[in-house]
Amino acid sequence: MPATEYQGSFLSRISIRRNQVVSMDGNHEQELEELEIFQKNISERFSDLISDDSSSSSNSASSSEPFLSIAWVRKLLDVFLCCEAEFKAVLIMGRDPSLISKPPLDRLIPELFDRAVKALDICNAVMHGIDSVRQCQKLAEIAAASLEQRPLGEGQARRAKKALAGLLSAMGIDETSGGHKSAERSWSFGRRGGGGGGVSVTKDRGSGQSRASTWGVPKNWSAAKQIQVMSANLVAPRGAEASGLAMPVYIMSIVTVFVMWALIAAIPCQERTGLATHFQVPRQLGWAQSMVWLHEKIGEELKKKEKKGASPVGLLEEIQKMEKLGQSLLEFSDGFQYPVPEEKLDEAAAQVADLTETCRRMEDGLVPLQHQIREVFHRIVRSRTEVLDVLDHAGKSSAPSV
Amino acid sequence: MYQPLNMANQAPPPAAGFDGEMEMLSCPGSPSLTAGSPEENPKTTGYDGYQLDDAILSQVLEDVDRFLEKLSAAAENDGDPVEVPDSVEILSKTVESMIDQCSYRCQELDSTAFYDAIDCLSRMVDQLGEAPPSPATLGSLNRTSTVIQRALMYLEDELWSILEQPKDDGGGGGGGKPDHHHHLDNNNNNVSTNNNTNKHKHSKSTTKHSSFNSRFGHHERTENRPEIEAAAAAAGGGSEEEYSFPGFSPEAVLGMNKIANAMIRAGYEIECCIIYSFMRRNSFKTALVNIGFEIVSIDDLQKMQWNSLEKEIVSWVRIVKESSKSLFGEEWKLCRSVFSGRHGEVAGRLFGGLVRAVCMQFLNFAEATMLTKRSTEKLFKFLDMYEAVRDLGSSIGVGGATEELAAEIEATKARIGETAVGMFGELENSIKSDHGRTQVPSGSVHPLTRYTMNYLEYTCVYRETLEQIFHQHQHRRPAAKEKEEAASTKFGKQLIKVMELLDSNLEIKSRLYKDPSLRYIFLMNNGRYILQKIRASPEIHEVTGDPWRRKRSTELRGYHKSYQRETWYRLLQFLNHEGLSVNGKVSKPVVKERFKSFNAMFDDIHKTQSTWVVSDEQLQSELRVSISSVITPAYRSFIGRFSQYLKPGRQSEKYIKYQPEDIESLVDELFDGNPTSMGRKKT
Repeated sequence: MPATEYQGSFLSRISIRRNQVVSMDGNHEQELEELEIFQKNISERFSDLISDDSSSSSNSASSSEPFLSIAWVRKLLDVFLCCEAEFKAVLIMGRDPSLISKPPLDRLIPELFDRAVKALDICNAVMHGIDSVRQCQKLAEIAAASLEQRPLGEGQARRAKKALAGLLSAMGIDETSGGHKSAERSWSFGRRGGGGGGVSVTKDRGSGQSRASTWGVPKNWSAAKQIQVMSANLVAPRGAEASGLAMPVYIMSIVTVFVMWALIAAIPCQERTGLATHFQVPRQLGWAQSMVWLHEKIGEELKKKEKKGASPVGLLEEIQKMEKLGQSLLEFSDGFQYPVPEEKLDEAAAQVADLTETCRRMEDGLVPLQHQIREVFHRIVRSRTEVLDVLDHAGKSSAPSV
Repeated sequence: MYQPLNMANQAPPPAAGFDGEMEMLSCPGSPSLTAGSPEENPKTTGYDGYQLDDAILSQVLEDVDRFLEKLSAAAENDGDPVEVPDSVEILSKTVESMIDQCSYRCQELDSTAFYDAIDCLSRMVDQLGEAPPSPATLGSLNRTSTVIQRALMYLEDELWSILEQPKDDGGGGGGGKPDHHHHLDNNNNNVSTNNNTNKHKHSKSTTKHSSFNSRFGHHERTENRPEIEAAAAAAGGGSEEEYSFPGFSPEAVLGMNKIANAMIRAGYEIECCIIYSFMRRNSFKTALVNIGFEIVSIDDLQKMQWNSLEKEIVSWVRIVKESSKSLFGEEWKLCRSVFSGRHGEVAGRLFGGLVRAVCMQFLNFAEATMLTKRSTEKLFKFLDMYEAVRDLGSSIGVGGATEELAAEIEATKARIGETAVGMFGELENSIKSDHGRTQVPSGSVHPLTRYTMNYLEYTCVYRETLEQIFHQHQHRRPAAKEKEEAASTKFGKQLIKVMELLDSNLEIKSRLYKDPSLRYIFLMNNGRYILQKIRASPEIHEVTGDPWRRKRSTELRGYHKSYQRETWYRLLQFLNHEGLSVNGKVSKPVVKERFKSFNAMFDDIHKTQSTWVVSDEQLQSELRVSISSVITPAYRSFIGRFSQYLKPGRQSEKYIKYQPEDIESLVDELFDGNPTSMGRKKT
């Protein structure tokens, strides 16, 4: 992967240069240069996430992954991992550890860690969100396989209808409530504010609600709230601090919050109300322009969905597609009467093929996406430990002199 | 009207009664369904459905089978479309009727017949789909697929109901909780390792197995029982004698097995798996909640005080152990019974998914606790976690757990291990940096010695685990000089390293004493304490080995000798028989001077050293005996030889202040920490 190679050379450059510099005082200029490279890299990485057909200023080598598709989200996470590695290099590699135990970093680093911990919870919530998407995928697979059969009979249509009703209700779309007795036991998430991570069940008979309890995060946990808290104390460094280490810490915080925000927007996640307004990317900063653009685009989508009333399932392109195809095919199955006219059958067949393709993309992409989120999780944990070790070391080496 | 003989070449003639039955059954929706021959149809229901007795059903099935054979023959020969016999419709109606009966009357399904019918219909749909289409076959196909779909939806419902049925309906979880936590509180006071007041408890609970496990066992057996019974009762389970997870009767398991087989055979595997895995994950979670499981966000865990976090860890360890020990095994057994035979692969997949979900939850907690601030007193709880995660790793091998999960578990285990190693580092640092300048007044055991030794003693309870941890997770550059002669194990080396650090710290502390004798008493007290700890704990003894202990004993004897020299040899010089003569004659003034000096010095020693403390009784008596054995004979012989030079009476009383017996009893007053002597000194 080119990004990684590039990152590697960046890291080695930093370490080589740092090794050459013996004195820690005379390298402010180099620090500035490093900071500049860091910002430039961030800017480039994020502009890679903007695809050709959009108003991107970047060159032709930019992304071909559809915006907000699984592949795009994976790329976003790659970008995060690269930024994170570079950030760590800027912050600790070869640096005098005592620097990060002094103001303003003695305040900024714990704040950064606090954000990191919240990001870990978000990773977990999103992991479970993906599990629910996989459940939906299974239901879509049932419907697609059922409607693919020829000759297509009422039995197949009913089977598909049940699966699709379950699918849509799982997505929190409630148009299915009328006349679908068969969907009485259905799978749903994102409802009643608590179903997020898991799949919850509505069932009429018997003991009443045997709703699934959530996995991953506690019941009262809110993804939107986390984003709000993470961005609450994000203040751009000013004056002399702006050219020091406070800057990369600030940048990394913005990157973290943005990536987490985008994940929550894309993937079903517990309690996302108000997500669109909870976080803003600062507009005045040069390196953040692509991010601002992406933020706006995702924000628009979120607002569009929120306007529609139902709490949005997740902006992931595949989910959206599944929802649209699901609704259309549900209509088809609902109105199914044997025999079906040829042209109607052909129309449905095209949609079924689309749905099958979407399922395939989910099948191929969701598990690696989960692995990648887990990697992000581990990376955050590891980096935190590494920085703490450096701090620890700094504390020890300074102890005798105190 | 249905005529069985419609079918050309029908080989076996219908059985007697078959005709009539068929005749009657072939009037779909006819209100006079039972009117014809009610006495021949005892099973006929009042609905517009009916049931065939087994013999007739098997006739119908055979009939359809023959049709299928013809169908496949026709398909091969590209022959004319085959006409669909009425037996297909009869079978369809039979299945519908069975579903109706079961749905409305909630009566038991005559399952074998039902499953046979579904199987037969499924096969027919498959074959009809491949046969050259004709209006008749298509119509029949449509009709049959609908019936199958209904039948399978019915089976889905059945599966759902059975899966829902176990006793723990979630009702017990909420109610049982406060109790549970209350109990954990009690547990915790006993287990707590982190503050000084509890330190003695460590030494008493020599093995963690006697302390931890029995307590846990007790907890489960006595405390949880009422909750579980309450939950069982609430769920309508009655007074179950034995709470068992997952709580299905053998009939229920058999029922699920039949349903699963039928669903998979009919191509409804995904539906079957969705329902099964969804319901089982919920039930499993409920089971965990019932034993105290609770999801706490990583963020909230960071904000917890250690005593709260400690309780969470204790509870977590118990839950993880319970899962490894029985829950996962039981779950796998259930899964394997429901998805049996050829469906073993499905079972593996379903179980693997559930285990992954549960384990990730467990691991997240462990990861989150690793993020909290490191400190030495957390070590023991972290070791408990390490053991739990390690056992978790070996317990998930039963089913279809993936390599990915195994790697996750391994990674978390490694992180806990590294943290534990780090905590030892912390212990080393805290010993190194203990530069307190206040001395223990009476030369007795320093708190640092007590703390460190109790701590080490307790770590030895986890000896095997720590040995693993130091082997696997200590990333240390090879030490400059490996101490071959000492312990052979990594943990043993670590232990010795800590004790050596303690030794050098004590050495520094001992210099705070101006009085060299007190310094040796201090070193002896602490050395003795350490040695006693080593002797008392077979674990430390075993880990550190004999030569090391002998070396320490030798050191202690050295201190003893030095003390003798510092205090008593100087006193002995006044009892030297030489140097008393002037010009070959014993000089009275010199004798008097000697007695005076002896008395003064002895009084002084007695005053000072009876305020000193030697808490170890054996050491105390050893010291007194050895002092007496040095002083008393010398004094006796000195008196014996030189008292004659003093005038008996006043002068003798003045100079011979003590009889040898007095010396002995005064020596016996030493090292008592007796403050009255101190008081006397001050006045």
